[in-house]
Amino acid sequence: METISLNDDLMAPNVISDPHGYYRTLREAEPIHWNARWGGWVLTGYNEVVEVLRDSLNFSSDRMGFLAQELTQEEQESIAPIFKILSYWMVFRDPPEHTALRMLLNKHFTPIAIERYRPMVRKIVQKTLDKVLSKGKIDFVKDFAYEVPMTVILELIGAPDLDTEKIKEWSEKLGVFFFIKADEPRRREIACEGINALVDYITPLIEQKRERPGIDLISLLLSAEEAGSITANDVLATCVLLVFGGHETTMNLIANGTMAFINHPDQWDKFQKNPDLLKKAVEELLRYDGSVKSTVRWAKEDTQVGNTLIKKGDRILVSLSGANRDPQQFTDPDGLNIERNPNLHVAFAHGIHVCLGASLARMEVEEAFAGLISRIQCPELVEGAQLEYYPSVVHRAIKELPVYIKPLIK
Amino acid sequence: MENIKVSVDLNKCVGSQLCIMFSPTVFERDGNGQSKIVNRNGANLAEMLSTAEQCPQCAIKVENTQTGEVLFPPPELAF
Repeated sequence: METISLNDDLMAPNVISDPHGYYRTLREAEPIHWNARWGGWVLTGYNEVVEVLRDSLNFSSDRMGFLAQELTQEEQESIAPIFKILSYWMVFRDPPEHTALRMLLNKHFTPIAIERYRPMVRKIVQKTLDKVLSKGKIDFVKDFAYEVPMTVILELIGAPDLDTEKIKEWSEKLGVFFFIKADEPRRREIACEGINALVDYITPLIEQKRERPGIDLISLLLSAEEAGSITANDVLATCVLLVFGGHETTMNLIANGTMAFINHPDQWDKFQKNPDLLKKAVEELLRYDGSVKSTVRWAKEDTQVGNTLIKKGDRILVSLSGANRDPQQFTDPDGLNIERNPNLHVAFAHGIHVCLGASLARMEVEEAFAGLISRIQCPELVEGAQLEYYPSVVHRAIKELPVYIKPLIK
Repeated sequence: MENIKVSVDLNKCVGSQLCIMFSPTVFERDGNGQSKIVNRNGANLAEMLSTAEQCPQCAIKVENTQTGEVLFPPPELAF
């Protein structure tokens, strides 16, 4: 294999602060690159990314199955609580197990189905805007971007009174396992603490719903369990997945989108003058700096991708951010253009694992920005603010976004 | 189905295969992993509309060719 001088440290500070620059370098040199340090392929070209994501026959998402093969019996036992839940997560399963769960849940996440939550989201946005406008100087992540998605997911599972601070803390602990801090020696212990706490917190809620079902997703899962189409393990794991995956990614989308506008105030102005561009603008924000940078697949068979033979068992880091800035697919890919059309980005991935919550996230981000442009001027970074992103290969997550918020003078 | 046209917008289809899961007699994967219609009479109108709704991208369009009415997606959902 040809060796080129590419930095294979996916957690290097410059890769975390500027993933797009890093993936551009990689794509220009080798859109299918063997990362020796990680021990897998890194795909950054649009065509290659799309080919792998849409091919679930040859490329598996069975993360826990492949992980089990890499670990000793003892290591597996040390993370048994994680295996017990994550093995049942839809995102880490292949057909046919994936299919039944996806078909069941998908009906409740279609573009039409989620419209019923729009008035509620609009209200939350307005209430949050009232608050931030009275402050003037805020941390946009904590004070605005966090509020909407967390409230919505709790409403969806029919538990508006859950302690969001605790869920956030435990989700972060669990996230250590696969999102961040690969160099944290206690990462497995920390992740086990996180998942155990989430399971202990959610289990009584499931039991309550079993006794007194409502019109929420937990009750729906329980009725599917009664009908025999899914198991009790599926119910518990899916509830953990919804709570864990339901808020953070959307929060990051809202924050990253705002950061994109701060760097492109001309696009904010255009948007403000043409609010009808809302849907196209949101698609462009998703493409430009989405909240999930990459996802992982494993080759089930020797498979040719482009000119490269990927061997059975090889793992592949599929770079969604890399594909979304590929000039072969997008004109002026590093520019923000809220009128871009067509815009077949991969921010929610492609293929059978395309984000279940995509329509929900779109609607929430639409409402967030519709609210913002109707009431405030383009946010301005607080002088001297040093922006930092969480050290993650997967998430594009800004830690704090200190900005000034000024009312729009009409 | 008389007077009903169903089409897949390849500028929107992400290959979720949800249409294939819900109406396997109508849809199949094409060579690019996107969806194609193999039997437009494989489902009645009610099933076709319900399957079109499952698409996260609103990539499936159902039209009445006689009246020109777009039965799905409603204009407010199209992006």
